[in-house]
Amino acid sequence: MSTRLYFICVICAGLLLTGCAGTQSRNTDPENDPWEGYNRKVYAFNEGMDKVVRPVAVGYDRIMPDPLQTGVGNFFRNLDAPITFINQVLQGKLKQGGTTAGRFLLNSTLGLLGFIDVASKMGLPYYNEDLGQTLAVWGYEDSRYMMLPFLGPSTFRDGPARIIDNYYSPVGSVIGGNVRWGLFLVRGVDTRARFLDQDAELEQAYDPYVLMRDVWLQNRQYQIYDGDPPLQDYDLYLEDFDEEPEPGTGNTP
Amino acid sequence: MFRGLLLAFACLISQGLFAQTQADEPVALVETITGHIFAEVSENLEEYKAEPGKLEALVRDELLPLLDIKYSARLILGRAGRGLAPEKVDEFATVMSNLLVSRYSSGLLEFSSKVDIRVLPQRGELNEKITRVRTRVTIADGGEAPVDYAFRKTPDGWKAFDVIIEGISYITTYRNQIMPEVQATGIDSVIERIGSGQLEIAE
Repeated sequence: MSTRLYFICVICAGLLLTGCAGTQSRNTDPENDPWEGYNRKVYAFNEGMDKVVRPVAVGYDRIMPDPLQTGVGNFFRNLDAPITFINQVLQGKLKQGGTTAGRFLLNSTLGLLGFIDVASKMGLPYYNEDLGQTLAVWGYEDSRYMMLPFLGPSTFRDGPARIIDNYYSPVGSVIGGNVRWGLFLVRGVDTRARFLDQDAELEQAYDPYVLMRDVWLQNRQYQIYDGDPPLQDYDLYLEDFDEEPEPGTGNTP
Repeated sequence: MFRGLLLAFACLISQGLFAQTQADEPVALVETITGHIFAEVSENLEEYKAEPGKLEALVRDELLPLLDIKYSARLILGRAGRGLAPEKVDEFATVMSNLLVSRYSSGLLEFSSKVDIRVLPQRGELNEKITRVRTRVTIADGGEAPVDYAFRKTPDGWKAFDVIIEGISYITTYRNQIMPEVQATGIDSVIERIGSGQLEIAE
């Protein structure tokens, strides 16, 4: 999406949301989510949008045969390869960067514009990096959770980083005009369709907002550590059980 | 001659002991138990699909001895468990483990064809109180899903207390759902709702 337009949308959504301010005083995770009140409003806004998006995604899921849907997923994943490549270089992961460059060349040509993931079949593994992860590797590890209108879960670090990534990605820089918009919309629907299976579980949760946040933040940590994050500090959980916890300090930038 | 026999015997014994300590280690435990469950499911998938209760029984028999469900329960309850009667915590541990067994079983049935698991070698020394066993579950489209088990050393040997799928911890996720609910409605209500299947907090 063009950056300027996105900001206009964010501001409009912000205005809408301040209008329906149900005061949410409790804070379920002051350390990671100090903006919970605001985030919950954006979450509610996105849920409203989903009433329109979900039926489209359901229809798409029904008419698309599975192999074709896999192809579409491969296509978008391939378009992100330059973002991954640049961030692998920025993180000093040169060898993996070489693999990503090789994958991009192979899949864009032999793989028919990325629809067929021939590189994986040839044993070149898929990596996923972006500027948010690079910033985390560089030391900006903890960032407060931030719900973005339309785009969903993110952090204060990852949201702006995502916009920068999209500037130099093929979709952002090479492909222009209506095609870019078309791709953006198809990708949105395709992504939504991939999460349809999880809808029922989310609805059944005590607190769907918290479930989405916790799952997203943990999975993000997993990406940042390339699939090998440190274990939770379980002792901390136990101290909670045994004695009075210290008051939460919500000073994460 | 006699000395030689004795030596051979001693070797056998020490080897036996050696094998025993190995078999008690987390990686070996996971290999044996998940290996058995996965092989069983792959062979009799149709049968288990017809009778999911049978699979739950299998998973319960195989998996539960490996788990420290009371420890998991305490971690999940956190602050909300403070001052609870121990029997309540045990009761909560039981309904949570039932939920875990039922989810694990239905997860296994979602695989359409053969399922496979690869247990990665132990990393680092085992002198810590907590360790992690990394596994990769092969899924239908040929991809692999990372499933890790967190283990702790107890007087009864190594026991698993957390499952981590693609970085998402069962304990952390359930904890943030259940803790506020226990604080708001009380432990009895939560135990009853989880037990009656009214609630399936998801991952």
